[in-house]
Amino acid sequence: MPAAQNNMNFLTRARHQDRRSQAGPRGAYAWALTTAAATTGIAFLAHQLLPHANLSLLYLTGVLIVSARYGLRPGLLASIVSFILFNFLFTPPFYSLSVQDDGDVATLVFFLVMAAITGNLAARMHREMDARRASFDRTHQLLEFSRLMSSATNTGQIADALAKDLAARLHCPVAVLLKRDGQLDRQAWSGGRFEVSQAEIESIWAREGQDCNAVGERTVLPLASPAGRLGLVILDTGGRGRSQADLDMARSLCDQAAIALDRTLLEATLEEARIERETEQLRSALLSSLSHDLRTPLASVIGSTSSLLDYGGSFAEADRRELLATTLQEARRLDRYIQNLLDMTRLGQGKLSLAREWVDLHDILASAMGRVDRPERVRVVTRIQADVPLLWVHGALIEQALVNLLDNAIRFSPADGEITISAACRNDALTLEVCDEGIGIPDSDKERVFDMFFTARHGDRSQMQGTGLGLAICRGMIGAHGGTISAHDGPGGRGTCMRITLPLRREPATEAI
Amino acid sequence: MTGGPGILIVEDEAPIRQFLRISLEAHGFEVREARLGADGLAACQERAPDLVILDLGLPDMDGMRFISKLREWSDLPIIVLSVRAAENEKVQALDLGANDYVTKPFGVSELLARVRVLLRNRDESFPEIAAFEHGGLLADFKTREVTVDGTPVHLTRKEYDLLHLLITHPGQVLTHEQIIRQVWGAAFTEETHYLRVLMRQLRNKLGEQATSPRFIVTVQGVGYRFDVSG
Repeated sequence: MPAAQNNMNFLTRARHQDRRSQAGPRGAYAWALTTAAATTGIAFLAHQLLPHANLSLLYLTGVLIVSARYGLRPGLLASIVSFILFNFLFTPPFYSLSVQDDGDVATLVFFLVMAAITGNLAARMHREMDARRASFDRTHQLLEFSRLMSSATNTGQIADALAKDLAARLHCPVAVLLKRDGQLDRQAWSGGRFEVSQAEIESIWAREGQDCNAVGERTVLPLASPAGRLGLVILDTGGRGRSQADLDMARSLCDQAAIALDRTLLEATLEEARIERETEQLRSALLSSLSHDLRTPLASVIGSTSSLLDYGGSFAEADRRELLATTLQEARRLDRYIQNLLDMTRLGQGKLSLAREWVDLHDILASAMGRVDRPERVRVVTRIQADVPLLWVHGALIEQALVNLLDNAIRFSPADGEITISAACRNDALTLEVCDEGIGIPDSDKERVFDMFFTARHGDRSQMQGTGLGLAICRGMIGAHGGTISAHDGPGGRGTCMRITLPLRREPATEAI
Repeated sequence: MTGGPGILIVEDEAPIRQFLRISLEAHGFEVREARLGADGLAACQERAPDLVILDLGLPDMDGMRFISKLREWSDLPIIVLSVRAAENEKVQALDLGANDYVTKPFGVSELLARVRVLLRNRDESFPEIAAFEHGGLLADFKTREVTVDGTPVHLTRKEYDLLHLLITHPGQVLTHEQIIRQVWGAAFTEETHYLRVLMRQLRNKLGEQATSPRFIVTVQGVGYRFDVSG
């Protein structure tokens, strides 16, 4: 009987809807009774003014409100209670339930029909709203998942996100296994752990090309990209099958994850290749630098000393001295180069420990200038503002940086050129400049001169060139102090100014002096 | 053997021992050599030299231990041979009782200058000298008056203490800790900025050029030295 079936349908839907209404089912019935009682109160006040037929409309309003809000069954309850109260209190014979008029029977039927229609409509509306909300949530989750997939930077993040998402949607434990170096290892779990033996994994993996396998009580989804299979997802569904919709959804998530995995793997490969290429470049630059900068001085040393040893007796005294002076000079050059390499490895280990102490800039400058070989013709002018405070630095490192800058400035200075060293405080930083009157550095190279072996890589091995380590060391040592170093044009666009900035720290009180 | 001042070289590298021996003997020193620390200590006990040149990297014993052991019973001057970029090592050796150091690689003239300074300082005993004079600087120990190129310089008590300490160890490096201990006291050894500020004041009063000092030389990360080479 279609009507009864329909009614059954109403009832199930109403139950459904009751569960979802804001008040619990009992609350809904209580509200139905309260509404009927309230309507009666209002009717008592109004029945002096209104004819009794209109009072039934008042009750009907109450029934409609209850049906719309709480659905069918509270609506039906409200309509029956309302009819009884209406009949008992307001229709003749008063204070009796007997029905005198056929119109009153019509009122009851009318109440019931209105409650049924409204309740049904209300239930459908609630259902649609719920469905829409659920769909919105799904879309939102999917978007959130996509965002996670596209922003993930490593495969671990992707596996974690996928496992969490699947576990939350399918309400079952999930394991994600990724292939790495031919092995399925990196595992992400969510929603509880379950046992998967290595043999089981192997056998699942071996059955290539099968999709959505049910393996015992589990469901297995592949993670595959055009490049090949990347891993597996195992759902511990406990023998209960999943709906096709759920599986489709899970498969689409897996596809998204596979694309993301593919992307991160590609990025990792590219990054590896880049690092390898740079390391290779650096290695060849270091080797060419080593063979040149170690061999050249050694050639002079070996040549000079062997000729002195073999033929020294026949040389004029002045020649002998000259050869010895060259030997010494070249040996010292070798020493400086080795020092550079040592400094570089010290910086390269990344754990340069600063032995900071309070140091006077004048002291650093004085000892740096004492360490460089300066031809008489090159003058050095220092302009240090009187208010430069003590520096909280590792003195030897700042000194080494200055030695390297001075070495460069001297090497590039023209005959009777002038080198200016100036220092001033600006805000909370010290600005230190070493300026020469040399050929200057083109704008395109102003940043690159700080790269390791930049000069060496340029292949120009004239007298002017250094080892290609000096400025890289400067930057490392100044950087370790939180400072910066940069190359600029000299005053009037002539020569080069190397500018160091170092953060200053407030000097402690020195009342004990 | 010449009968000049005796020098013991404790160094495991034969080429270095060789050039030290040749150079020092040529300057009239009587040289003995030891390859190992234990041999060096034994040689000192057998017949004390006037000065020890000690390599810090010995195969059998840490150079620091050598210094400590020798200082247990002798105050004969020690010059340490050290590698660069190891300021800590130098400071440690000096604080343990070494008198000076030379950084490898070094020229013989540098080492000879250190040797001469230490031997001279040992021979002269400063409390008996009434005044110190060098390169235009004159300090009268009795009146505590100081003049530079004939111009009187007024120093505070601490400034004078600092100058006095340096000129009574002419040519010899003094570590920050040694100076602070003498001028302020042992409780202040961490307060290196006191020394930096005081040193700046003293140098200003002595009319030192900021970047090419005449009198007091900074040894970066180690200490100061009153320069008597010029």
